[in-house]
Amino acid sequence: MLDLDVTIMPKMDRFRSVLIGVASLAVFVVAWQAITMATNSPFLPTPVQVFQAFLKISTIGDIDGYTLWWHIGVSLYRVLLGFAVAVITAVPLGLLMGVKPLVKNVASPITEIIRFIPPIAWIPLSIILLSGINRYIFLLWIGIFFPILLDTIAGVKRTSETQVNMAKSFGADNTAIIKKIIFPSALPEIMNGLRVGLGVGWMCIVAAEMMGGEPVGLGRLILKYANLLQIDVVVLGMVVIGLIGLAMNYLLLSGERRLFKWRVEIKA
Amino acid sequence: MIIAKGLSKSFIAGNDTISVIDNLDLTIDEGKFACIVGPSGCGKTTLLKILCGLEKQTSGSMLIHGQPPDPKKQRFGVIFQEDSLLPWLNVISNVKLGLELYRIKDADQIATKYLDMVGLEGFEKYYPHQISGGMKKRVAIARALAVDPEIILMDEPFADLDAQTRSIMQKELLSIWSKLNKTIVFITHNVDEAVFIGQSVSVLTKRPTKVKTTVSIDLDYPRSRLSPPFISYRERILGLLQEEISSL
Ligand SMILES: Nc1ncnc2c1ncn2[C@@H]1O[C@H](COP(=O)(O)OP(=O)(O)OP(=O)(O)O)[C@@H](O)[C@H]1O
Ligand SMILES: [Mg+2]
Repeated sequence: MLDLDVTIMPKMDRFRSVLIGVASLAVFVVAWQAITMATNSPFLPTPVQVFQAFLKISTIGDIDGYTLWWHIGVSLYRVLLGFAVAVITAVPLGLLMGVKPLVKNVASPITEIIRFIPPIAWIPLSIILLSGINRYIFLLWIGIFFPILLDTIAGVKRTSETQVNMAKSFGADNTAIIKKIIFPSALPEIMNGLRVGLGVGWMCIVAAEMMGGEPVGLGRLILKYANLLQIDVVVLGMVVIGLIGLAMNYLLLSGERRLFKWRVEIKA
Repeated sequence: MIIAKGLSKSFIAGNDTISVIDNLDLTIDEGKFACIVGPSGCGKTTLLKILCGLEKQTSGSMLIHGQPPDPKKQRFGVIFQEDSLLPWLNVISNVKLGLELYRIKDADQIATKYLDMVGLEGFEKYYPHQISGGMKKRVAIARALAVDPEIILMDEPFADLDAQTRSIMQKELLSIWSKLNKTIVFITHNVDEAVFIGQSVSVLTKRPTKVKTTVSIDLDYPRSRLSPPFISYRERILGLLQEEISSL
């Protein structure tokens, strides 16, 4: 479902909740520091060590000379390519499946099986069949396609029959009805699918990069340093993945809020 | 000129076939303001959908200028019973929708003109959820009028409005009609409203429906609700309608 059930909080409350959030994070980091210092294990880096790793990898680079920014850029590039391919394929198919029962009956036996095969299970096959960027695009597409497809179909169902009749009464053909009525009706759900899909894709890319291929990408960075038992960089990679995932989710969410202001206000 | 002859319509719902319109005859002349009243659920909306080609009759014929209705070939201005504004578009974009679908030029200018006509100047940038029910109906009317339709079809357009607004809207609709000189088919279940605005009032029977009687209202506009002929028309049509409702 759409994540817009936000009650508009008063200003003071929002400020307080941010404050609490920051405090909670600080407590987490302090607890982390305390635990690692107490255990004193070479495999549990402290937050300070992770920050030092950040300074090193982001300026000097890793053992192969790639900086953190380069790893981030390559991973993002792969995700966005896979994401684009998934959007271009899933949205039209979802619209068609939502509008034409025949298309749905033909496509859904296939999609309903494939969607339960996790992207990770496709990795061995894709290593054998595909190479270079194509392999990443394929794995991401497999991961991102289904959330978008399902949400698009669900969105089409929200279309109001009266609105379709209204468009028909102005002589609208099927293309115009999809463009003017069905697509905008489904758009909030589609956007939700995009957001979920991007999150799934971001998780897929890390897994895909760990399975070999070029020595760049955040997944690959983690793997390289895990093999060297330099856990500070491993944890750095994990933290960066989390933060970028958060940032992407936030960007799409605030885009959704702006785009569907009318919908939030109707509910409020 | 609208001519329905032996018009019948039935729906298949599950295993049942329900007959909604049965052998209905109706003629509406060019430029007339024709009202249709009928008991609740008798098939008024179904008749309106056949009138604009949204539904096909099961048998019989419906002809507009000798042609079966088809919004791709003729222009209709339909005001639906339910809210049909697009909530993601602002008022002016809603009014422009029909113009865009018919690829009519100067959509902005035309839309503004009809918004002014229904008294909504200044509300162009508002969204449907920011305006009242009566204003929404006005937007729907502006949207229908903007495409310069040959025929305007209205399905209980003022049903949700309070008495005050309803009475204002009736007068405004009459003044728009006298300016534009279009054929209007106006469905209502409110007999007072029908006698106030219609040149003729066709009373439908209960389902499966047909035209019971068409009463021609020979009164000049503006009509007074207190005049004896008005009251007698109203009583007569109420009586006809009452027969249908009490025999349900
Ligand atoms: N698509 C449909 N499938 C099956 N039955 C339908 C369909 N459309 C309408 N009906 C039935 O036809 C009958 C008449 O419906 P219609 O909407 O035309 O009535 P109405 O006179 O407009 O009612 P109201 O006064 O409530 O607006 C109803 O019994 C309804 O259940
Ligand atoms: Mg109706």
